[in-house]
Amino acid sequence: MPNRKSQMEILGLAIVVVLILVATIFVVRFLVIKAPTNYRKGFISAELASNMLNTFLKTAAKDCSQLTMTELVQDCAQGRTIICENGQESCAYVELTAKSIFGQTLDKWNTDYEFLAYTDINSPLIKTGKRCPAEKRSKLFPIPISAATVYAKLDICG
Amino acid sequence: MKKQKKSQIQIGETIAVLFVFFILVTIGFIFYAKVIKGNIELEKDELSQLRSVGVAQRVMFMPEVQCSEDNVIIDNCIDILKLEAAKSLISEKELYYYDLLEFSDIKILQIYPEEAEWEIYSRKIDNFRNKFLTNVPISLYNPATRKHSFGVLAIETLSR
Repeated sequence: MPNRKSQMEILGLAIVVVLILVATIFVVRFLVIKAPTNYRKGFISAELASNMLNTFLKTAAKDCSQLTMTELVQDCAQGRTIICENGQESCAYVELTAKSIFGQTLDKWNTDYEFLAYTDINSPLIKTGKRCPAEKRSKLFPIPISAATVYAKLDICG
Repeated sequence: MKKQKKSQIQIGETIAVLFVFFILVTIGFIFYAKVIKGNIELEKDELSQLRSVGVAQRVMFMPEVQCSEDNVIIDNCIDILKLEAAKSLISEKELYYYDLLEFSDIKILQIYPEEAEWEIYSRKIDNFRNKFLTNVPISLYNPATRKHSFGVLAIETLSR
């Protein structure tokens, strides 16, 4: 009979030890070990989408009478009257330039993206890159045209 | 004789318990010191990252290179004609700019229409612990032609 009592005591002691261990692991995991904060990633992703799109739209086209990308996107959405010196029309020229610039920047930095210019999102006028599967930082830039508004949108994945 | 033997055993037990206790305390202390050391390293890393972001922001808003029109500052834009003057000013007033830009290497790369490169500040160290490269897309304005080109501000910060 005393044997059984001592067994129960040992079991109680073991339970107390396990509880203390669990509590210690919990304290160490959540209070003592700090999760790292990536300040740079936050800054870069916040700046990247907006700076990239603003800069791109301001850029003058080298083979299109020095028109800006904004002007070419406007033409692309409303009449496609501009033919660039290399024979391309505005939509194709903007798409090719976007591919070239984003290829030398975002692709080089291993950043996935999707660039769209549209009046109706279901049938974009210009599209480069691939759709972000999960989290993304987005910048939408409305450009006024005579009948409606054309939107330039850049999604930076991750 | 029997009583003396019993007390000897008890002293032995106490010594054994104290020995185990001190071993446990030592293990706990080593573990705690390791965790604290890890946290300090982490804080050092975060501080370096914050410094790198600070330098990037200071460069982006440097009046020495920023575009302006009728005294109105244009954000996210660098005036190409100001670059050469800024470069010589920065090398002249090295200490002042060291306070602002610390150990870093700042370059402006033109991507489109043609490729070009300007280095505006460079102060490097060999024995650095952290190295961060921040690329910020930026518009490069040429006041002579009144045209913008596409550029990247590449800021490499080093910390010990």
